Amino acid sequence: MQVQFTEDGIHLPEIGLWLDNTQPCAAAWLSHAHSDHARGCHAQVIGTPATLRLYRMRLSLAENQEAPKMFPLNFGESMPWNGATLTAYPASHILGAAQLLIEFAGERLVYTGDIKLRPPLAGDTTEVIACHRLIIESTFGLPIYKLLTREAAAQRIIRFAQECFDEGQTPAFTGYPLGRGQEIVHVLANAGFRTAVHGAIAKFIPVYEDHGFRFPGWETYEAKAIAGKALVVVPDHGRVLESSGKNIRRAYVSGWAALDNARLRGGAEELIPYSDHADFGELLELVERSGASHVDVVHGYTEPFAHILRSRGLSASAPQRASDRTNIEAEG
Amino acid sequence: MDALAQACEDIARVSSKLKKIQRLAAYLQPLDECDLLLAVQFLSAGPAAQPGVNQTLFPAEEKTSLSVGRAIIREALQMATGWDREILRICFSETGDSGETASLLLRGLSADEPMALRDAEQLYTQLSLARTSTRKRELLTQIYLRYRPLTIKYFIKIITRGLRIGLMERMVEEAVALACAVPAASVREANNRLGDLPQVALAARRGELASIETRLFHPMDFMLAKPLERLEDLADPAHWFIEDKYDGIRSQIHFDNGQVRIFSRGMEELTQAFPEIAAAWKNIPGKGIVDGELLAWRDGRPLNFNILQQRIARKRVRATLIQEVPVIFMGYDVLLHNDTLLLNKSFEPRRQALESILENAPPLLHISQQHKAATLEDVDRLFRESRERGNEGLLLKRKGSLYEPGKRTGAWRKLKRPFGTLDVVITAAEQGNGRRAIYFSDYTFAVRTPSGGFANIGKAYSGLTNNEIKELTKILRAASTEKFGRVILVNPEVVLEVAFDGVQKSPRHKSGYALRFPRILRWRKDKKSDQSDDLARVEALYNSSLVSPPASNCRPPA
Repeated sequence: MQVQFTEDGIHLPEIGLWLDNTQPCAAAWLSHAHSDHARGCHAQVIGTPATLRLYRMRLSLAENQEAPKMFPLNFGESMPWNGATLTAYPASHILGAAQLLIEFAGERLVYTGDIKLRPPLAGDTTEVIACHRLIIESTFGLPIYKLLTREAAAQRIIRFAQECFDEGQTPAFTGYPLGRGQEIVHVLANAGFRTAVHGAIAKFIPVYEDHGFRFPGWETYEAKAIAGKALVVVPDHGRVLESSGKNIRRAYVSGWAALDNARLRGGAEELIPYSDHADFGELLELVERSGASHVDVVHGYTEPFAHILRSRGLSASAPQRASDRTNIEAEG
Repeated sequence: MDALAQACEDIARVSSKLKKIQRLAAYLQPLDECDLLLAVQFLSAGPAAQPGVNQTLFPAEEKTSLSVGRAIIREALQMATGWDREILRICFSETGDSGETASLLLRGLSADEPMALRDAEQLYTQLSLARTSTRKRELLTQIYLRYRPLTIKYFIKIITRGLRIGLMERMVEEAVALACAVPAASVREANNRLGDLPQVALAARRGELASIETRLFHPMDFMLAKPLERLEDLADPAHWFIEDKYDGIRSQIHFDNGQVRIFSRGMEELTQAFPEIAAAWKNIPGKGIVDGELLAWRDGRPLNFNILQQRIARKRVRATLIQEVPVIFMGYDVLLHNDTLLLNKSFEPRRQALESILENAPPLLHISQQHKAATLEDVDRLFRESRERGNEGLLLKRKGSLYEPGKRTGAWRKLKRPFGTLDVVITAAEQGNGRRAIYFSDYTFAVRTPSGGFANIGKAYSGLTNNEIKELTKILRAASTEKFGRVILVNPEVVLEVAFDGVQKSPRHKSGYALRFPRILRWRKDKKSDQSDDLARVEALYNSSLVSPPASNCRPPA
């Protein structure tokens, strides 16, 4: 199967499909609803029902602009597409995130999108899909990144909140609006803490609830009433809170928190290295279990990770221009 | 050592100074004397292979170095983990810290054996004694694979001398005081006197702080002056004693009835390089420690620093060089006189002691003249007079201030004027350290050559705001042509204005010159690289520096 890697996304010309294309195109697969993957108004989009719903919430259409034609694809379901068969599998990254298996002319190609192999704090559990060719991300594709399991991360989040309350302080967790934010709220609310949630995160909670996740007693964040509550806010707001002079301690829940310099970068005291991306070990496991005879590494530490795979005797390349993590604020 | 590492990790986790101190005190409190000594040693001074010897303060010839640098730390990690150089390079670059990288990559590989502080001391000694780098590398590889990764993290940070957990020496002093139940001020004062915190900690534990005395012939830290950027910032000119600011070699004289040693700010001994000064001090009765400056001197005027420099490089000097480059010592403070410690006394009695030491002194020993000013105009006039005398500017000492070794508190201020400024072009950039590890904050810069190219002349990393560094990082990344580890080469596009204190010949840079103390004044967004200064201008500046500094056109910065 022909695969073209461009700056805007991945193009499969034989079946007229683009994967996570950031520029408007005729037909795009949306692996998940983060804006660096699902953006732009395409003529036709394919994704899981949750991804399509979140994508619609984030999509702002100009007047007279036609909404994309949406093709929902449930986990485990297949659909025909220009001579190929497309099947969605969970990717665990955020709600609705999916891997796509493309079967065409006897070849099995899997595009992971953003993926997490271990079970997430709140989300679906992944499967490894056997394939001939694997297109994988490598956000944490260096051996220094070993992240916490769901259990250990939940324990750290709860411990930090309790520690703050015991000392009369207010814990503030920073998370991205979609995914990490809801995961942290899920842990805190289910541990019985009063949890106040920033609006940007709160607006996606109903979508999680519709998919069966429960957030008992969460409330919307109000600047005037924070005492006795655990706060879950977006990273920029974390800084605002800290400089407000209130008795607040910040925790940073992110894969980037695996390194001490995250403390300087984000200003948080507590680093909880948990991510909705696979860590290095998970990435290796994924590649090895897929049985792929060729691996394309498309995001993150693409060059080094491909180099590591090659040194293990695999055929691997980093086809897109290595981003070298140029965007240091990359979600992780 | 395992507990020390855990304490450091906990200290890094909290930002409150008080909590850091409390956590450290809780760790120090139960230690026995030997462990207390080692722990404070590791935290404040590094991996001294001989316990109790303070790296920053012990005399030059006692200095022991492990000779374990970044290369050995990395090569050993390569051997221990099997990761190749390229992958390790990227890992180091992402963390910006050798100890942290080692600990992250060793997870799951090491035998997790416990390491006591005494074990750490022994391992440092072994590393220090290993003669070849191959042997050091092998030893370090074994260490990596034997102990807990978290312990290794701090074991290495102690070697590289950067814990990066937000712990200042003052806080270690306070933790020692808290752990030993003595007043913080008593620990601090004893450390000022002795400059050896591990020994001070031991004395604090034994209740013997009062008996700590300053040791002669062990160099102490120098008090430093904070730059006064603009004359107008000086609030009350009448509150200061004013002296000329000299452009020589800062030095500390230790003397005891005919025995003399001279130390530089780098704690190196200069006695043999300046035998005539040492000989002059032999005539001074009594004992003491005097702070001052060595100056090349002729006909009652200082000569340019470039001329004095000829005297530094050599261990022993020829008699002819002493003739060619005559040197004097200009005394301006005193730390100890006979049996009186003067550090904690105010400047006035120190000055009196200095005058009594140097009255009737041989001609090579001068005393810095004091001036008084009532108004800013007076200070301005004194500045110009100092420049006319061939000095750099003014040094202001606040009335009643103490001598604070190693501190730049603002009790001393210096008013200088840069020797010159140049518009230069950035040709390479390096990622910074610590807080700046994610930005390109260190810049190599160049001047234009006659052939239309650029020749490097120096490197600077201070002077820009964090926002400017952020913005420059983006621009430089886009302009980069090649990458070597943490360094990128860039197309010469960005123009900086740098100030500096002098021009020297130097084989180090392609231009053949180097700038003294270059610092970035501003980013000249208005200039293109072809509008930067050229090599001819640098040559002219150098030639002008060989004559005494121009007396004209030297108003203080306003």
